[in-house]
Amino acid sequence: MKAGIASVDLAGERLVLFPERVAWWERRDTLLLADPHWGKGAAFRAGGIPVPRGTTVGSLSRLDSVLDRTGASRIVFLGDYLHALEGRAPATLEALAGWRRQRPSLELVLVRGNHDRRAGDPPEGLGVGCVDAPLHDPPFVLAHYPDPNSAGYVLAGHLHPAVRLVGRGRQRERLACFWIQPRVAVFPSFGDFTGAADVQPEPDDRVFVVAEDRVVEVEW
Amino acid sequence: MTRAEEHVDRWFADRGWKPFAFQREVWAAYQKGESGLIHAATGTGKTLAAWMAPLIEWMREGGRIVPAGAEGKKPRRDTSPPLRVLWITPLRALAGDTGEALEAALQGLGIPWSLEGRTGDTSAAVRARQRKRLPTALITTPESLSLLLSREDAREIFSQLRMVVADEWHELMGTKRGVQVELALARLRNFRPELRVWALSATIGNIEEAKETLVGVAPLPGGARVVRGVEPKKVIVDALIPPFIERFPWAGHLGTQMLPQVVDAVEEGETAIVFTNTRSQTEIWYQALLSARPEWAGTIALHHGSLERKTREWVEDGLRAGRLRCVVATSSLDLGVDFSPVDRVLQIGSPKGIARLLQRAGRSGHRPGAPSRVTCVPTNALELIEVAAVRDGFEAGAVESRLPVERPLDVLVQHVVTVALGGGFRPDDLLREVRSTRAYAGLLDDEWEWVLDFVRRGGDALQAYPEYARIVAREDGIHVVEDSMVARRHRMAIGTIVADAHISVQYLRGGRLGSVEESFIARLKPGDRFVFSGKPLEFVRVRDMKAWVRKASSSQGAIPRWMGSRLPLSGELAAALRERLEEAEKGVLRGAEMEAIRPILDIQSRWSRIPRADQLLVEHVETREGHHLFFFPFEGRLVHEGLAALFAYRISTLEPISFTLAANDYGFELLSPERAPLDAALTAGLLSPKNLFEDVPASLNATEMARRQFREIARVSGLIFPGYPHAGKSARQLQASSGLFFDVFQRYDPHNLLVSQAHREVLERQLESSRLGRTLERLAASEVVVTQPRRTPPLAFPLLVDRTREKVSSEALGDRVRRMQVALEKEAG
Repeated sequence: MKAGIASVDLAGERLVLFPERVAWWERRDTLLLADPHWGKGAAFRAGGIPVPRGTTVGSLSRLDSVLDRTGASRIVFLGDYLHALEGRAPATLEALAGWRRQRPSLELVLVRGNHDRRAGDPPEGLGVGCVDAPLHDPPFVLAHYPDPNSAGYVLAGHLHPAVRLVGRGRQRERLACFWIQPRVAVFPSFGDFTGAADVQPEPDDRVFVVAEDRVVEVEW
Repeated sequence: MTRAEEHVDRWFADRGWKPFAFQREVWAAYQKGESGLIHAATGTGKTLAAWMAPLIEWMREGGRIVPAGAEGKKPRRDTSPPLRVLWITPLRALAGDTGEALEAALQGLGIPWSLEGRTGDTSAAVRARQRKRLPTALITTPESLSLLLSREDAREIFSQLRMVVADEWHELMGTKRGVQVELALARLRNFRPELRVWALSATIGNIEEAKETLVGVAPLPGGARVVRGVEPKKVIVDALIPPFIERFPWAGHLGTQMLPQVVDAVEEGETAIVFTNTRSQTEIWYQALLSARPEWAGTIALHHGSLERKTREWVEDGLRAGRLRCVVATSSLDLGVDFSPVDRVLQIGSPKGIARLLQRAGRSGHRPGAPSRVTCVPTNALELIEVAAVRDGFEAGAVESRLPVERPLDVLVQHVVTVALGGGFRPDDLLREVRSTRAYAGLLDDEWEWVLDFVRRGGDALQAYPEYARIVAREDGIHVVEDSMVARRHRMAIGTIVADAHISVQYLRGGRLGSVEESFIARLKPGDRFVFSGKPLEFVRVRDMKAWVRKASSSQGAIPRWMGSRLPLSGELAAALRERLEEAEKGVLRGAEMEAIRPILDIQSRWSRIPRADQLLVEHVETREGHHLFFFPFEGRLVHEGLAALFAYRISTLEPISFTLAANDYGFELLSPERAPLDAALTAGLLSPKNLFEDVPASLNATEMARRQFREIARVSGLIFPGYPHAGKSARQLQASSGLFFDVFQRYDPHNLLVSQAHREVLERQLESSRLGRTLERLAASEVVVTQPRRTPPLAFPLLVDRTREKVSSEALGDRVRRMQVALEKEAG
């Protein structure tokens, strides 16, 4: 396996964090990711704002590289699969369908998020099983909103978390991160054309930043 | 002399004046069909030189004159002649003043023209009236002119236009707004080939070039000339010398330590203007003066571009009427008509340039025979050298140039949509028109095709976006805007001044105070105090894109900071500064300013040294923070930012290392956690002008500069949109998304010309690349002097404490991040 990954033990389970912004739950043969926001570029274009094509294909190829390395048989999307109703452009959906055709046996599950309510579920042909949050997959609770849940440790998205880092010589960086709290883990947003929001970790939290091709745990 | 000119002479004589020869020259040239540029100091009759020309024309053509006695009866709008004269002013704050000056001449000569302003400040009622019929003479800003050109009946409303006057052209020509005017003028010349265009300008170093930006590169039927106005009067430049130089802060840019001396200086005169370099300093000095002299309340005021129009007008009226003792102001009072009672002008902080200081000096001494005088107030001791240098430069007759902007594609994208709205265009015709401007004379065919594709399809042919079309070609080949959403959005977004998003500040009980940057408001919590418009305020909440406030009792609180562009030291002043330092190195301290900073220069030469003009001083200092390399080329901040990125990049190619960079007008700093291989870098050609074309772009990629520059481009070209009023999309989101846009373009559409433009603009405008190359040639021929002081010497100190930094690194991000930690909330800001 390639360097650049990090692993973290949560609720007795081991998750491997990839710089592609995806986590691998090896025991369940599952990849987890949040907030792909597919079709966001198309939604902007429909609004008269020229965003280049290719963001969907670009993020799918990132996903491919993790699938090839892990051989996972299932992907769970932690919400916000499609960005907007206007983003259901033929080209975007075709890119997703083409990708799906190459991986027909893969099990795909979407735990619906706030954007999915307005954008609607992925078309039937994509073969994505859609469920409302939370989805219980013990010991985890898979959800979109990062709210603690008494039923188990929560894996979620929604926030698009990032942290600001400082170092000697007045070095500064701002990077997307996996934000691991005592009862909830928040995933970085997966999509290429998504922003990020600063979060402020608490003393008991752990933070793994995505530093280009490496996941690095940072301290504060 | 014709009857018309006699009439004008009489009006001059009635006021105790006599036309200057240059004014007569303009009037005659105008009647012959010529265009031109008039340059002279402020307050020397440029306005009337231009304004009388179309009035004389009116009288010569037998236009109606209302006999004296009928005065005071303004002509009715619906009977006044249609639009004949367009007067373009860079600041809407100037429109009112100019209007009064022009109106006085109309009244005095009995010419029944209507005259109105049309700017962002114009009321909705007046706008509605102007939609039906424009006045005979219209005073407007570049943005409002573009809006007029976007009207479907644009050709019709300008069909009687005789003259365009571009006021304060030196302010506009070096900016994208100036380019917007160049394009608008080309459009108007297309409507009216006989149109005469005249500019009023301060004297600048490249006056012929200034004329070219105005009249374009295609020959005009009537020709064009440069007219020089009267010589400026005598100017005195002096400084307030701090009494205790030891206690003087080396880096206190906002320090009000000189307050007592400033109070004394203000008291010496009848009416004073205290100029500062930033709007924040204006607020600070206003508070400071008021607390030093509470009895001045009511006779002291402040003036800057972010204040509400009514407030500004009240201040300007007060100045003219002599009601005010003192006004604290930014460049918002640099321009415009006279404030005759002003007899004392102070400049807080660095004068930055020779011409700029002269302009400010010209605000005083309007009484006959009185010289203009400006007194500089240093905010750090080193600025005293600048005062001495500015006087040297002035005495040597040095004047700065304003470099014109070359073919910015974002402005062209905007203009093309504007023209599509304003009646439409055929691409070939519009290309010819656009290439007649100086800014786009060198526009490449490829670039033009790209711009057309960008507005038609959102990208070049290979990157066509089917969902997207701003402009469509009709069957007859005319390109127009059909989508009404696109039209509305474009009209709202017109304008090329792109500062951060501003949010208006308003009392809960009503009454607008002005506007501040949203980033400032975003940091406030309800109940926080801040000072704005000279008033202590308590922040209540943000709603409907407004910051609601109430009065606070104490004046404690934060002062908003407006980002704006910080002016760099001009090349001319920088050269004079290096000469002064060389003298000091030889032990010659000429004048009170240099004598005053002797203690600081002594420390500098004991701890390190004072560089001669043919030396490059490099100081290496080690502190808790890491290793600091300070370089002192003395070339102004913009050049230093470029050099800092270039040097950091060149050093980083030798070994993996990470730098943060800071720059000011004197030099720049490279800070690294580990010691940088300076000697090896010098041997490897750190200062070499060679490979500049490869190294400079590479060093820019290493910084965030192009990404930041893209923000403005994204907005001007309509990629991001300031939002409808009340739409509530926060500007922070827009800001983030312009960065996101940049990343996505870089990755998925790397040949996008707007991205290339961002790089080019950083090079040409942000870093003054031509100056950068010349500087490197000078440095390469210099002797490098490296010192290793144990403590940070005075020249380096302001850099040491500078908090705004770029970064350049050749280490893998993962390696770098390992040594970093999450910022605490208060640091993260």
